[in-house]
Amino acid sequence: MTGVTANDRIVFDDVSKFYGEILGVNRVNLSIPPGVTSLVGPNGSGKTTLMNLMTGLVRPTRGRIRILDCAPDEPEKLFKILGYSTQFDSFPKGLTGFQFVSSYLRLAGFDSQTASQMAWRAIERVNLTEAATRNVAGYSKGMRQRIRLAQALCHNPQVLVLDEPLNGLDPLARAEMIALFRAVATDGCYVIISSHILHEVDAISDQVILLSNGYVVAEGEIHSVRDEIREHPAQVLIRCDRPRELAARIMQSKHTIEVCIHDDERGLLIKTRDADQFYLMLNHIAVNGIEIESVAPADDDVNSVYEYLIGNESGEVAR
Amino acid sequence: MTQLWWAQIKSVVRLELKKTLFARRGLWIYILALLPLLLFTAHTVMVSRERGRSVHIARQGGKTLTYQDLLAVRSGMTGPEVVALLGRPPIRFHWNEQTQLQSGGFTIVPHEDYHYSDGANDLFVDVADGKVVGVHIHEAYNLAEDSIVFAGVFQFFYLRLAIFFGCLGIFMNLFRGEILDKSLHFYFLSPIRREVLMVGKFLAGLLATCIIFVTSELLQIIVFTWQFSPNVRDLYLYHNHGLAQAAAYLGVTALACLGYGAFFLAAGMLFRNPILPAAAILVWEAVNPFLPALLKKFSVIYYLKSLCPVDIPSPPGMPALMSLLVSNPDPVSTPIAILGIVIVALLVLYASSFQVRRMEINYTTE
Repeated sequence: MTGVTANDRIVFDDVSKFYGEILGVNRVNLSIPPGVTSLVGPNGSGKTTLMNLMTGLVRPTRGRIRILDCAPDEPEKLFKILGYSTQFDSFPKGLTGFQFVSSYLRLAGFDSQTASQMAWRAIERVNLTEAATRNVAGYSKGMRQRIRLAQALCHNPQVLVLDEPLNGLDPLARAEMIALFRAVATDGCYVIISSHILHEVDAISDQVILLSNGYVVAEGEIHSVRDEIREHPAQVLIRCDRPRELAARIMQSKHTIEVCIHDDERGLLIKTRDADQFYLMLNHIAVNGIEIESVAPADDDVNSVYEYLIGNESGEVAR
Repeated sequence: MTQLWWAQIKSVVRLELKKTLFARRGLWIYILALLPLLLFTAHTVMVSRERGRSVHIARQGGKTLTYQDLLAVRSGMTGPEVVALLGRPPIRFHWNEQTQLQSGGFTIVPHEDYHYSDGANDLFVDVADGKVVGVHIHEAYNLAEDSIVFAGVFQFFYLRLAIFFGCLGIFMNLFRGEILDKSLHFYFLSPIRREVLMVGKFLAGLLATCIIFVTSELLQIIVFTWQFSPNVRDLYLYHNHGLAQAAAYLGVTALACLGYGAFFLAAGMLFRNPILPAAAILVWEAVNPFLPALLKKFSVIYYLKSLCPVDIPSPPGMPALMSLLVSNPDPVSTPIAILGIVIVALLVLYASSFQVRRMEINYTTE
């Protein structure tokens, strides 16, 4: 991230939000770079509160938030660079999908013709052209999700905040939307996504923010976050021609905790306290005769990180 | 920047106006606005039927009569003198009255009632024992009386109830209704200053209430003057301040929407339950005549009463406190009244602008 300054980031500086006596989020310090950042946590962990704080829908009880040097309480500036697809499933009455998007653009000050062109472009991006002239009230859940995405995208914002954007979408639409988010992020935009679907988070995210009970439990790139979790040994999956011989050599290391040989006698799962030392040792072993087909970390994903850090609270999270 | 704000305000007005005017839950506001129109329409229909009857009676009479002819009949004249003067009565009733004598016996007094008409005004003559004992003229038009009736309906129903509650229904819903519908975030996530949004919503509400209530008032005036014959209508409109009064009624209606609108917009942002602020404002407006001079000025009805073109006289025998409610003992001049309402509305809107900036979207607690 060289060249990225604080003004080019989404910054939470000691932010807390209380709803009366109920905690929303507490003492959140974040500095979010461009790319796809996923907010992960169980229901009530503070994901939506964080997004609402970012977009000025709620105000922090304490602390300061800057979105690329913009304050959330200046909507006239903020929403020129930010689009938010909320979880709120209600729309202004009597509008068609197209009117919903174009009205938003008219509110932004675009003239009728420009607003119309931009609205159609956004609707095409979410594949909703055919239904665009129908009243939103008659849309299915997936269509409503897509029209919200179109509204969030229509003015080509630098920051895209998406609260559970894949909810209600069929598998094909999910894949299309994930590709769309990746494309937006590749253009240098900031895409903040909250999701319950951990394997999708894994596929989309450049970095994750793990939340639990209103606190940020971990943040950063998945691998860095995993590396920080010392109390859980790293798991490594190896496919090779002589797993028993390899297991014997690996067990000589003091960092190795456990080795499990696969039933097909073509691989093994290793748990080690020091992954770096393990990989050095593996290189040495490979040079000395055992043919290793593949080596892959087995718990270096959001799912495992989530399990280690949040664990039992995550009953409702889909893996 | 100002150009952008105007474009944004126009967008808000366009969206809100459509919602406000065609909302199913706003149907009762149309009914409130149209009630006086129905009343005046019914009255005009009745007057037209009475006039048709008068014309019919006039045609049945032996002579063509004028209003002066009807006025010539006096008490004490004999029945034949009346018939000689006005001709054979088109409608004539006979009846007998039994009266007690001082001696204790009874006597029968024969009565005759004559009903004449000049085609517009009706004359009722009561002849007892051959002599005229009662004369009553029912004039087709009594502009002074009709104006007071119109003013009474305007001040006591239209202004204090219909417009008041209509503004409550429309302006309160501009923000509160969207919170209940969980759709306010659509605006709050747009690149528009909250104050500009508030002004846009207020103007949409003002336009909607003016369309409903000023149109209704205009129709009421048209229907009210429709009962008059063309000559009387011209006399009323062009020589009897009718046009000025009509303009004043329309202006007062628009100003009432402005004043009450500002209060209810603020209340809709501050309170979850509209009943409490509505009751508070209603009571505040009702007790206005009894308030100290300074507090009086911070109300809408104080200025509106001064702008109403026709004073309603207190009926004789009405208690002093009650007549305070009817009359306006300390009216202010028209420019001050207009300026007063505008300033009060602007002050309330200015205070509301702080609230709208602080508003949060938290539908679950609503």
